[in-house]
Amino acid sequence: MASKPYRLAQGGSLIDRSRKVTFSFDGKDVSGFAGDTLASAVLASGQKIFGRSFKYHRPRGLVGLGSEEMNALIGVGQGNKHEPNLRATQIEIFDGLSAESQNRWPSLKYDIGAINSKFSRFLPGGFYYKTFMWPRSFWKHVYEPFIRKAAGLGKAPEGRDTDTYEHMHIHADVIVVGAGIAGLAAAEAAALAGAKVLLCDENPVLGGIADLTAGMIDGECVEDYAKALAARLSAMPNVHVLSRTTVVGHFHQNYLMAFERVGDHDPLILASGAPKHRLWKIRAHHVIVATGALERPIAFANNDRPNIMLASAVRGMIGRYGVTPGNTGIVFTNNDDAYLTAFALKKAGINVRVVDSRSRSDGALVKRAIADGIDVSLGSVISAVEGTLEVKAVKIAAYRKGQGRVITERRVECDFIAMSGGWNPALHLWCHNGGKIQFDDGLQSFRPQSHTDAITAIGAANGTMSVADTLVEAQVAGEAAAKSVLKKAKTIKATKFKIEEPIRGALESMWFAPATGLYNEGNKHFIDFQNDVTAADLELAQREGYESIEHTKRYTTFGMATDQGKTSNVNGLGVLSEATGKTIPEIGTTTFRPPYTPYSFGSIAGAHTGALFLPIRQTPIFNWHKSHGATFEPVGQWRRAYTYSQVGEDKHASITREILCVRNKVGMLDASTLGKIEIKGPDAAEFLDRMYTNTFSTLKVGRCRYGLMMNELGFLTDDGVTVRLADDHFLMHTTSGGADRIAAWLEEWLQTEWTHYKVFVTPVTEQWAQFAVAGPKARDVLAKLDPDFDLSSEALPHMSFSQGHIGGYPIRIYRISFSGELSYEVATPANFGQGLWNAIMEAGEEFDLTAYGTEALHVLRAEKGYIVIGDETDGTTTPIDVGMDGMVSKKKPDFIGKRSLEQSFLKGPNRKQLVGLLTEEPNDVLPDGAYAVRVLKDKPPMEMIGQVTSTYMSPTLGRSIAMALIENGRDRMGEVLSFPLEGGKVMKATITGTVFYDKDGARING
Amino acid sequence: MADLHFQSALAHRSMPDNTSISMREISERGMIDLRGLTTDKKFVAAAKAALGVELPKVPRTSTTFGDVQVLWLSTDQWLVLTGRARVTALLADLRKALGTIHSLAVDVSDMRAIIRLEGDGVRETLMKGSTLDLISDDYAPGTVRRMRFAEIAALLHVVEQNMIDIYVFRSYADYAWEFLVKSARRGSEVKLFPNLIKD
Repeated sequence: MASKPYRLAQGGSLIDRSRKVTFSFDGKDVSGFAGDTLASAVLASGQKIFGRSFKYHRPRGLVGLGSEEMNALIGVGQGNKHEPNLRATQIEIFDGLSAESQNRWPSLKYDIGAINSKFSRFLPGGFYYKTFMWPRSFWKHVYEPFIRKAAGLGKAPEGRDTDTYEHMHIHADVIVVGAGIAGLAAAEAAALAGAKVLLCDENPVLGGIADLTAGMIDGECVEDYAKALAARLSAMPNVHVLSRTTVVGHFHQNYLMAFERVGDHDPLILASGAPKHRLWKIRAHHVIVATGALERPIAFANNDRPNIMLASAVRGMIGRYGVTPGNTGIVFTNNDDAYLTAFALKKAGINVRVVDSRSRSDGALVKRAIADGIDVSLGSVISAVEGTLEVKAVKIAAYRKGQGRVITERRVECDFIAMSGGWNPALHLWCHNGGKIQFDDGLQSFRPQSHTDAITAIGAANGTMSVADTLVEAQVAGEAAAKSVLKKAKTIKATKFKIEEPIRGALESMWFAPATGLYNEGNKHFIDFQNDVTAADLELAQREGYESIEHTKRYTTFGMATDQGKTSNVNGLGVLSEATGKTIPEIGTTTFRPPYTPYSFGSIAGAHTGALFLPIRQTPIFNWHKSHGATFEPVGQWRRAYTYSQVGEDKHASITREILCVRNKVGMLDASTLGKIEIKGPDAAEFLDRMYTNTFSTLKVGRCRYGLMMNELGFLTDDGVTVRLADDHFLMHTTSGGADRIAAWLEEWLQTEWTHYKVFVTPVTEQWAQFAVAGPKARDVLAKLDPDFDLSSEALPHMSFSQGHIGGYPIRIYRISFSGELSYEVATPANFGQGLWNAIMEAGEEFDLTAYGTEALHVLRAEKGYIVIGDETDGTTTPIDVGMDGMVSKKKPDFIGKRSLEQSFLKGPNRKQLVGLLTEEPNDVLPDGAYAVRVLKDKPPMEMIGQVTSTYMSPTLGRSIAMALIENGRDRMGEVLSFPLEGGKVMKATITGTVFYDKDGARING
Repeated sequence: MADLHFQSALAHRSMPDNTSISMREISERGMIDLRGLTTDKKFVAAAKAALGVELPKVPRTSTTFGDVQVLWLSTDQWLVLTGRARVTALLADLRKALGTIHSLAVDVSDMRAIIRLEGDGVRETLMKGSTLDLISDDYAPGTVRRMRFAEIAALLHVVEQNMIDIYVFRSYADYAWEFLVKSARRGSEVKLFPNLIKD
């Protein structure tokens, strides 16, 4: 044999023989030509095995030509660039490509896991559920890890992916999925009628299988006709063509998703800055499904041996890449179409004979084959395949439809088989969003029936198999789609095609070819190659009572994994039909789910990786925080400074330092994230009275009031200080995380319930940078900055408001405190924020002013017993529960949540009430969320009577403090509670009031 | 006042050098958020008197007079644009004209960051993060649209065919900038309907 026995001397429409390409497969250098796929190049090198099967580790070769390939799953790239489970038939080779086979160890030829095959009688369908169930604990620790390791596809990449990915949106009047002759013709018709057309095809070259199709259109071969049509379309202004783009799903309202492999085939494209993959989000008024059809394998004994391929795949290998699987082939078919493969082989000088299960066919192709002298065995099947790593010979047995056993057979040597069991329309997209299908006796397959969306199936996807019918159907569909979308679509003149194509004989279904020897003893009839599901497995499931096809699917794994039943579905139904005596439509199909083919996680993430993983909100002081040692904590999408650790300081030390500085000197906190909402109108005061539990209509202009907000259920939902700016004008502060929610909540009540109120609500959170300056020296610091207003306690007492300038910066100033210290909140327009912050920092230097973060803030407020919505409340907590009965108005006629507070279970006994806790051991800090139990026992279960809501080490007090919601807590003052913790430890704590520090509140007055 | 330190949201970001479109922050623009009822003739008249231009009432449109531009935000909300230096005076005029008429005018000049995108491909760049069909005729110059962009709220203002201003809340400016730099990266350009010639 020559050095490259499988590359033909001539032919190969997609390859450029002048450009040699070298790549690595399983560590070996393989060369091919530009335009080759990994499949064609490796096959040309003489290698037939591409992988090991999922369960039995049987050696497997190529079966398909494109995305239907289920055996040859390949991992491409190394380390963090590795991408598993790509189909060899879709991988375009380039210099330097590095690929490896999967699910084998140590090599494809010698695979240890293949021992599973020897024990296959112990791994029948449903073996997961039957075996390994005892002893129970063994499943998790022994059996499952072993099975996971033994059965599998590729491995995940290692490390962070450095390639980029992105999303893209596009809108079209008409999307045509599939650029075979049907799709091309429909797209042209829709575009000529005036529609904006998007045409997507998963292959690099448009045309579908025009090159594998017999016939002449207006004197041109189908391939040339498709080429010219594709060129015309690509030049049209209202057409966008996407190749290497698989439409993976069709969803509600004609929303589709498509996966474009932008840079997989050429590293230069990636290097130029292009994303590796692009996920298209498509909105179309009308969808035309022109996804073609998938050829069916035939279930015969050992039909999974390497070099048993689909007839169309063999034809494509020869025509597109000039590659033959072997020197002597057998075409095994139940239909006329596969005869085209026989002609292609003969033309290429390959020995070929045809085994046809039909006893006769009147088709033109069959007659031509016989006339050409090809050995055609009608009424015959392949009953056995010899060879394990490659095909060595077959046995051909006489057959009549329905025959279950071999009577006579003869042995014929060959080194490959091209099989065709007919064609299944590719219905996946049609069915994703609920399209109905019907069984077609002529095709012995399902085809589209009806759909509630604006969607049309044409060509082979619609079960229309002749070229002439397809072109007419496509033109009509394209024009109709345009007309259904556009008010003024042009009417296009129907083209009169002159088409010659062979008259075809009928296909005869053949779901199971009888085998030499005992059934399923070493001669498996594979239905689902990817999941190693055989005809016997399906029959077994049937015998074991799995009557529903959906149950059979899950029990046997038939139709699952990356392949999603592309080639196996109808064959499986055929087997079940023969086993049960039911017709295929009676059995029904399993659900077609997106995606049509797998797409990368990278494309799903798109640009949202690294810094863009999640939208992050920054305050105007963010960069200062960063450069001053801050660590950040998320508050909603905000990143707030948690603490500022200096060199040599851990977080605990810096938090302690910050707290003591506020208590003893002065500190400054970036509180810009606080929600701020301007509320104005003649009814604003009354509106606020309804929103809050307490009263705002009595608030004087220039004064502040703390408010509690409930939802209709009577549960606390927000709190904050509201300022009266003018008689009809308020500024509401909300919690940082609640700003958007509360603004929407206010709008909802105004727009849907109290439409008579004249109130405008405008959120202004981001207009202001706002800082708390807190501590005994707070006034001294601000006084240094030449305020043009009176800072004294008389002019600006606790809970009052003023405005003016400090350090020249325009400000609003609120004398409010969340630390219990003398405290001002100063707000300035955000773009002055950093300037004012710097000015205050500078002014505070002589007072040892320090920046403090959110953790210090929390400890400071906990020392004072101030609640935080979301810590002390959990969505089922009322103002009474947290001891704020006094803030719930008894006078106001109504406010949100008032009625709910009257419900028996909110008024009744045994509510959890907020209390303070002091641990017996002052250095013990209770864990957040720790449960108190009624009676301490040796081990759970124990009855729980409440939980810790906030817990800290208080540097001010030199001991730990905590707050908790405890059943009837306020009646239990002084009681010692037990908190059993993990590891058998128990902490004990005494119930106290919630205010731990400065109980009479003198410090707030400065 | 001269020594006040003014720092816009994207002051720390420099012009990217590897994008296929140009990007810059517009920090010199002032903004006023105006609320009022178009059913209230006095409000409409007062607003026009102060601003010199009619408030746009048709959704997604804008009106311009001199250095004042008004963007429609919703049926009772507008964003008034003018030079930052003029905002205080214009807001005072507006409040004076509105008097006791039910309305709310607030200076929000620092609430949003504005990113100006310019060049061939601005629309496609934005479509990497937006579901809107920006290449359709619905987005002619002058169009204003609130949108969800790259998972955040944004305001789109088509200035010219190939010039678009994106307004995002100030806290998201850095994130939005980062997303745009990544999406406009040279080599990642996508031309939708590439043969289509737009006038």
